[in-house]
Amino acid sequence: MRYIHSLIMFSLVLLPQLLLAGGGWPQPKHGGYFKLAEWWIISDQHYTDSGHIDPNVTTGIFNTTLYAEYGFTNRFTGILNIPLFSRTYHNNLISGTTGEVLAPGSALNSVGDADLGLKYGLIVNKPVVLSATLFLGLPLGEDNGGIAGSLQTGDGEFNQMLQLDLGTSFRLGKLNAYANLYGGFNNRSNGYSDELRFGIEGGATFGKDRITAIARLFGVKSLKNGDPDKAANSTSIFANNSEFLSFSPEVAYRLTDRWGVSAGIGTAFSGRIIFANPSYTVGVFVQL
Amino acid sequence: MKRIILPALAFWVVLVFNNCIGDDILDDAVPESVMITNPIDTIGQGDAYQFEARFLNNVGIEENRPVKWTSSAPSLLSIDQNGLANGLTKGVAVITAEVALTGKPSVTDVIQVVIADNTSTNPNDNTRAGKLKATSSYTLTGDFTLEKQGSDLILTLAGNYKASSSLPGLYVYLSNNPNSIANALEIGPVTVFDGAHAYTIGGNIGLNDYAHLLYYCKPFNVKVGEGVFD
Repeated sequence: MRYIHSLIMFSLVLLPQLLLAGGGWPQPKHGGYFKLAEWWIISDQHYTDSGHIDPNVTTGIFNTTLYAEYGFTNRFTGILNIPLFSRTYHNNLISGTTGEVLAPGSALNSVGDADLGLKYGLIVNKPVVLSATLFLGLPLGEDNGGIAGSLQTGDGEFNQMLQLDLGTSFRLGKLNAYANLYGGFNNRSNGYSDELRFGIEGGATFGKDRITAIARLFGVKSLKNGDPDKAANSTSIFANNSEFLSFSPEVAYRLTDRWGVSAGIGTAFSGRIIFANPSYTVGVFVQL
Repeated sequence: MKRIILPALAFWVVLVFNNCIGDDILDDAVPESVMITNPIDTIGQGDAYQFEARFLNNVGIEENRPVKWTSSAPSLLSIDQNGLANGLTKGVAVITAEVALTGKPSVTDVIQVVIADNTSTNPNDNTRAGKLKATSSYTLTGDFTLEKQGSDLILTLAGNYKASSSLPGLYVYLSNNPNSIANALEIGPVTVFDGAHAYTIGGNIGLNDYAHLLYYCKPFNVKVGEGVFD
């Protein structure tokens, strides 16, 4: 199940913020985008290894995440995504017959796994832009918490991912719109399987350019080349060999020229070894 | 930006710190049952044999309840209310252990006993067999036997055994409640997912002490499948 968690965490937490911020476009020199967001999922079912949905004890994960992009130059942008506070828990399991606690719940609070990235604009200031980003996944979270050691706020592995983003902006009637296509290879360590990650995102701005509606499809494909013993060591979204195809719409509203708020939801069309409930996110962002 | 930050901070506090551990309710009810735990095939004419029975309540936990013992042919095989039987005349009799329930029909277990020259047990009586079946979307299949060897029980999975290796924390249990591992005997984590293998279960556990073999995902707290004894 470790596969599950890393996939969900990246797709439903990091990528939405990343693409809202830039996609194929690096930040201008000394420009920046900073977002403080809450992301959460409460799950009582999951996709099994055969793609069916089975129940599980209710598990909640709440991440308070700081996401930041800063333009060192017009081509180099630094990226930081860190869950400053991550809380995960399992519910108690209660006998419906006697009311006794059959299995006590537990909770874990810690910092979560962080991602450090450097984006380089390969093609900038053109109708179609292209950038490459190297992400380093820092295992700052806890991978063995709770009573049974099954609660996690991280996967305990250091991964490196190279991602390419191809973006373009255009007019959609009277609306300003954009589209971004991206794909990446995630090299994972510590026995975890490597992954291919891919997605497409489109957005349009309206309401006097205050409201941006975004729709994104995101998928993860495990190469299943990890250590077989790593295949069964967690229940969380940090599981190994997870796969999914998700849809996560989001709306951002600019309160001022710099400040804004956003809200989104993430759902999965299909998956393997991953939670099957929707995730939610709300955040406040500022753009320099 | 106070109009943004303060409401956002309040929202965060409410959201994060209201996420306390809740309760999931498990339907763990099972029918009450009584089982004769030391069945025998043949009682010798003139021999005595002490039967024993165990009552399990509606969550599969053993309770001490009065057992009513009866023989279908008291002239061949008598039995008193303590379960002590005496072989009187050659023939065949059926022994019934019955426990009365409040407001419900009583529960019973029956065995057939032959009264012959000598008391004997079937050599196969120290072995139970069954088949695994998945109760989830994960793979679990295969035949198994549970055999008494001295003070140990040997659980042997046959060559046709297969289990999913994708589950976190898959464990195997002996239990009297197919829906719960509460009060079950944990045999250990599953480390073999294909082919024949065996577990040795110490502690002088009785061959008939448990009615189900459970495969259970501990972290998820869900049953993956069970073994049903023939």
